[in-house]
Amino acid sequence: MRTRKALVAVVLGLGALGVMAAPVYAQTSPPTSTVQNTGGQNTGSGTGGETTGATSKPKTTAKECIDKLEHGGKIDDCQKAPSPILPAANELLWGSLAFIILFILLSRLAYPALKKGMDTRAEKIRTSIDEAETARTDAQNVLEEYQRQLADARSESARIIEEARQAADRLRQDLKRQAETEVNELRGRAQEDIQAQVQRAMADLQGRVGELAIELAEKVVERSLDRETNLQLIESYINHVGTR
Amino acid sequence: MHALLALAAQNPGELQAGLTAVGRGIVYGGAAIGPGIGIGIVVGNAITAMARQPEAAGQAQTTMFLGIAFTEALALFGFVLAFIISG
Amino acid sequence: MHVLALDFPPISHLIRWPTIFGSGVWAVNKVVLEEWLAVILVLWFFYSARKGALVPQGAQNLAEAVVDFVRNNIILQTMGSEGLNWTPFLLTLFTFIFVCNIFEVIPVIQMPVNARMALPFFMTMIVYFIYHFVGLREQGIGAYFKNMLFPPGVPKFLYILVSPIELITYFFTRPLSLAVRLFANMLAGHLLLATFAILTATLAASTYVGAVVPGALLVALYGFEVLVAVLQAFIFTILTAVYIGGSMHPAH
Repeated sequence: MRTRKALVAVVLGLGALGVMAAPVYAQTSPPTSTVQNTGGQNTGSGTGGETTGATSKPKTTAKECIDKLEHGGKIDDCQKAPSPILPAANELLWGSLAFIILFILLSRLAYPALKKGMDTRAEKIRTSIDEAETARTDAQNVLEEYQRQLADARSESARIIEEARQAADRLRQDLKRQAETEVNELRGRAQEDIQAQVQRAMADLQGRVGELAIELAEKVVERSLDRETNLQLIESYINHVGTR
Repeated sequence: MHALLALAAQNPGELQAGLTAVGRGIVYGGAAIGPGIGIGIVVGNAITAMARQPEAAGQAQTTMFLGIAFTEALALFGFVLAFIISG
Repeated sequence: MHVLALDFPPISHLIRWPTIFGSGVWAVNKVVLEEWLAVILVLWFFYSARKGALVPQGAQNLAEAVVDFVRNNIILQTMGSEGLNWTPFLLTLFTFIFVCNIFEVIPVIQMPVNARMALPFFMTMIVYFIYHFVGLREQGIGAYFKNMLFPPGVPKFLYILVSPIELITYFFTRPLSLAVRLFANMLAGHLLLATFAILTATLAASTYVGAVVPGALLVALYGFEVLVAVLQAFIFTILTAVYIGGSMHPAH
């Protein structure tokens, strides 16, 4: 803000200089014949005053000459070519006005509008970048969450499978053991059955053998056969029974 | 030589104009020597710097232009002085 | 009246243009017309870029590039971020000088405004006042002259040599070289182009073949003068920034 004030002060100062200088220049008296003569002398050198329009030539040359005289110059100055180094008063005045007007308009109107546009764009880009950054971190978090969940699920499923395998193992062992005991039990029972059957059959046989012996004796007695025949008979019977 | 002097005596204005022109040429020619060498040194060293450190090329370029501007001013003083010299 | 550069003006009007209308100090000649035109062009350029659209287009792009250039390549490199307050002033300097310079190579205008001393002189005076003013304001009168005349880091006995040189530099050489550099560059370029143009035209009128070499040189010089126009605007602006920056912060 202070710089702006300083600039305005400088500009006003220079402007005042120009305005004050203007009336001095404005008091140009109409051209006189003597000046016209001096103006005419210098055109031959080529670097001299104004040589374009035949009508305007003496007038403008004269004016410039009078300007010079009013500024304390010598009459010789009119004859010399105006130095290309020194600033011409009219160009200086118009140029300074142009610059000041341009500066005021640029700094008041054009630059703030442009700066505002650029600043809002910069702000917009900055917020966009920030938003993108936050969105990225969010996505990163979500991804990590998912990955963690996935890992959890994977380990969970592995655990379940392991558990199932162990259960199946245990079940198989149980079943095997159960089957073995059952088989043993059955086998024992069958053997006991066989034993019992054998016992019963032996007892049965012994009973029957007695009966048969008696029967046989009766038959032997009835037939009264000779001794040899009796013996034969008994033997064959006993053999018969023994084979059974 | 005598003939030249005689001519000059006949027309002093022309001698003056001619000497002025010669003076202008000498002034500008002399003023251009030093800055010519100087600008060569400035630009050469700037190019060396840019080649050594391409990442600092922008800085070197700005400084190079400033150096050229300062050096060139001397030649331009001579140029303006040549205009100022008048018979 | 040779207002438009459609034919060669008489040699006395190569740089000094006759009055078109008006009189005395308000007289308007070709150079004054060009000054008006420069103001109108710069304003029109920034006016067409005024929209401030979020996605810049056309002129807005260019205008923002210019502003960015002034800010990044001129101010930030020489004054630091606190020099950004000077952006409007330096932007005005840069664009105005550039447009005034580029008139040198615009067909039918063909006259750089800065080949006349008026504008360089005026702008240099502004810069001269500003950097002294800023130096006095930022450092105070004692410190400003102390830093100017006795820059720190110089051996004591050298001050005999350094102090007068610094004094001359600050009060005389700086403004003189600033104005003369711009003015003389443009004047020399203008004279060079005019010389080669006349040479080419004369040779082309007599021998067609003889005009080839100066014609080719003329084209090359045209390109060179475009470069000079940009460069001189840049150098004037950056030197202004350097001077103001140097007044804000004394030499290290």
